[in-house]
Amino acid sequence: MDILFRREWWLPGAVAVYVITAAASLVFVRRPRLCGVVAFGGAIVGSAIVVAVAVSVLARGPIGGPLMTHAASGMAFGYLVTPLAAWFLLVLGLVAAPVALYSIGYLPHAIPAARTAAVGASFNVLLAAVAVVFAAADVITLLFAWEIMTLATAALVATEHEIRSTRRAAYLYLVMSHAGTGCLIAGFLVLASASGSWSFDVVLAGNVVSGRWRDVLFVLFFLGFGVKAGVIPLHVWLPEAHPAAPSSISALMSAVLIKAGIYGLFRVCAFGLGVPDVNWGLAVMAVGALSAILGVLYALAQSDLKRMLAYSTIENAGIILLGLGAGMTAAALGRRQLAAAGIAASLFHVLNHALFKGLLFLSAGGVVAATGTRHLEALGGLIRRMPWTALFFLVGALAVSGLPPLNGFASEWLTFQALLLGFASLPGVARMNFPLAGALLAMTSALVAACFVKAFGTAFLALPRSRAATGAHESLAVMLVPQGLLAALCIGVGLFPGVVLRSIDTVLVSLLGLRVPPGARQTALTLAPGPSGFDHVTPMVLALTLAAAAFAAALLAAARVAGRRVPTWGCGGVLGPGTEYTGTAFSKPLMMIFKTVLRPTREVEALADVSPYFPREVRYRTAIEPVFERYLYGPLTSGILGVADRLKVLQAGSLHAYLAYVLALGVGLLIWLGGKR
Amino acid sequence: MTEGTLATIGLAILQAAGMLALAPLLRGLIKKMKATLQTRQGPPLLQVYFDLAKLLRKESVRSETASWLYVAGPRMYFATAVAATTLVPVWMAAAPLEAAGGVLALVGILALGRFFLATAALDTGSPFGGMGASREMTIAALAEPALMLGLFTVALSAGSLNLGALVRGLLDRGATFHPSDILALAGLFIVVVAETGRVPVDNPATHLELTMIHEAMVLEYAGPDLALVEWASAVKELLYLTLLADLFAPIGIATAATPVLLLQAVPIWAAKIFLLAVAVTLVESTNAKLRLFRVPDLMAVSLGLGFLALAIRFL
Repeated sequence: MDILFRREWWLPGAVAVYVITAAASLVFVRRPRLCGVVAFGGAIVGSAIVVAVAVSVLARGPIGGPLMTHAASGMAFGYLVTPLAAWFLLVLGLVAAPVALYSIGYLPHAIPAARTAAVGASFNVLLAAVAVVFAAADVITLLFAWEIMTLATAALVATEHEIRSTRRAAYLYLVMSHAGTGCLIAGFLVLASASGSWSFDVVLAGNVVSGRWRDVLFVLFFLGFGVKAGVIPLHVWLPEAHPAAPSSISALMSAVLIKAGIYGLFRVCAFGLGVPDVNWGLAVMAVGALSAILGVLYALAQSDLKRMLAYSTIENAGIILLGLGAGMTAAALGRRQLAAAGIAASLFHVLNHALFKGLLFLSAGGVVAATGTRHLEALGGLIRRMPWTALFFLVGALAVSGLPPLNGFASEWLTFQALLLGFASLPGVARMNFPLAGALLAMTSALVAACFVKAFGTAFLALPRSRAATGAHESLAVMLVPQGLLAALCIGVGLFPGVVLRSIDTVLVSLLGLRVPPGARQTALTLAPGPSGFDHVTPMVLALTLAAAAFAAALLAAARVAGRRVPTWGCGGVLGPGTEYTGTAFSKPLMMIFKTVLRPTREVEALADVSPYFPREVRYRTAIEPVFERYLYGPLTSGILGVADRLKVLQAGSLHAYLAYVLALGVGLLIWLGGKR
Repeated sequence: MTEGTLATIGLAILQAAGMLALAPLLRGLIKKMKATLQTRQGPPLLQVYFDLAKLLRKESVRSETASWLYVAGPRMYFATAVAATTLVPVWMAAAPLEAAGGVLALVGILALGRFFLATAALDTGSPFGGMGASREMTIAALAEPALMLGLFTVALSAGSLNLGALVRGLLDRGATFHPSDILALAGLFIVVVAETGRVPVDNPATHLELTMIHEAMVLEYAGPDLALVEWASAVKELLYLTLLADLFAPIGIATAATPVLLLQAVPIWAAKIFLLAVAVTLVESTNAKLRLFRVPDLMAVSLGLGFLALAIRFL
């Protein structure tokens, strides 16, 4: 029993629970139902412990301890849950537990029973790896866990590996991740050799390197962590991998996994290389703004529900980076309170995005399980057939659109504040970037609203567009309860943002170079950042006002005469699924307006028997040009392949040539060593 | 509940009721002035009130296809418009629910109403609803950055994003005029024209498929549901004009809750709204409606004006 009272055992305990559960699920490989319950039940227990660790750290201070020691080599691996790590662990636990519960009901519909054990095991290994990534206290532990995390995710993405596009997605993910990991290894090697230690205490103290090397390291780490965070232009794996995985795994990837990249950006790029440079902050802001606006524009162009959500994840990563960049810029200029506002906005959005995107992916998974398709144009009318799923998706859609009084509004509001405060308190022309970023953020959130009106309206409203949608049934209770939990969290965090912000303050005071403004003590209901109380917002009052006004509206319009239900007027014709406005049509005006960015292509083919005026069948195909894939990664890939092709000359298969290489190498080494002496 | 809270709630209700009562008059006035410019007699000034009263008495006719969201749409739209009125200083230099939030909350609340109405429009299965919702969200997305930039310019010069504090800040600053005000006003005026669905962006008087935006979105509504939508749109229009008056000519607004000041403030406010209504009427009468795909150009002009205003104000 003693173990329960020693806080330093909790995190290793959680990791042990995950690992043992992973092993157990492999034991029950022949009994898929039992295996599912064991694997995901264990994951829930582990996640609960992770949440306990996070709450404990935020309330009572950091916890650290050893994970593993190897006496012979003298290597010791340890962990340290700082308040920053605790914040990300909290996000992990809060999302992983509902996702695990959902998986118990979802996976039997989604994947062949024989694969339950593999998925359950990978799922737990992944959770353990992410927890260790957040808690790692040294370079080796971090990189080791990082690699396990990548491999486990790749295994999960490849669950349905008989589909060609899924294999491709998993491969692309692996390639991109490893390119990123390569950057991380290079960066950490420079830091470790300069400081002579593996421990983060030393490596990330901020005084290891200086001058030009600092910029080089920033770029290396930004690339390495940016791949995982899914920011444009490092995002290409994300819209392939997220939809390919089973929906509960997509939820976990989008809500938690990309946060590992964000965590790295926080830990190393923002607070691990010393006081950030102004240009770093502006670069992070620029990448954030680009990701936000392009992410949502690409999302609008999608007609695959899960792909749309994946692009929306890129957009949200952009918003997170906008806050972080604003904070870094302010920190670079020594404005510690201002920096706190930006970092707080960013951390808040990390939590919020995890909550609503987890919710949206779970609801989308319910739709996919019920209809067997992700194609928006084949859905419709699900609000009658799946009322709860529809309600939960609506809550998620409102939250992701940043509408009050839900949680997305709170963090986007804070981001706006950080940007405006930044403008008001920074000197020079550089500050014009802030209102520009603010205008882009405003446009982003309006576009997100358009995107989710389209998604919700097309999938859930009006008439079903296919037989699959007509025959859909509501999800099982075990799938609805987690969605309800996440929806409740979205609403709760939205109404009580002060509670969350108080925990964020704990994180802020632990970070270098930040100061929480003394005037900005939070009450549970109010958000009020900034030095002189620039603005404040109380979502609860907004919610109560809205409720009262909606009640008044309902009374005002209460039926005095019995109403009628009639068919929708069809201009004399008959309306059916075929005459409904499609999602593609809905986003068409925006596609046209932003055609310089999206470069849409369109192909119409009419098949006629008698006369071209009476087509038997019309085929319509529309697509947007994958700009980054074609113009950035295309030349890069072909360049690398071309170089590899040229190098084939060296590996000609002739033994004599190889012996000559060895001889040349030996002579060369001798000359070089002789020259050194 | 303390006395202060009760007073706040009372003020909020009074202001919301006042805006609700006066909003249809603004619509009637603009219609009448348009008719005069076209040398028609036009409908009576109070026709909008008669229409609302008639619609509210009628039976509700709804589509068989529609779900609960179709019913919730107009109610939420109305609720957001009413809630928005409590965040804006109208007759006094303080918004009744100032503590609830500022400019960003106002924009967010109005976006919430738009979200619900656009979603509800997709619920009947009629292509009109989808077309209207699509265009409405498109124009909103284009107008939003220009709106924010314009608001930011004024807010930063007044030192607050909270509308009450903003107006008080502007009053404290005195009647200093800055050239950036003209640019910001022009930019925001374009946004207001777009957001209230007026020519040249939208035409509130048309029911022609090719040109409808807002009207297409609410085409399926009838009876009390339609009354709520119409009324809320009128309130939104009055609210946007009030906002322009607050931001660019706050003079005359009551700085304390004394009867004398309030009695002065109401006619001054009415005069400002009248002038803005004349401007809206003139713009609407002298311009043709733009093609949908020309609207982005107009919004880009507005965005540019906002950015220029910000630049010459602070650089």
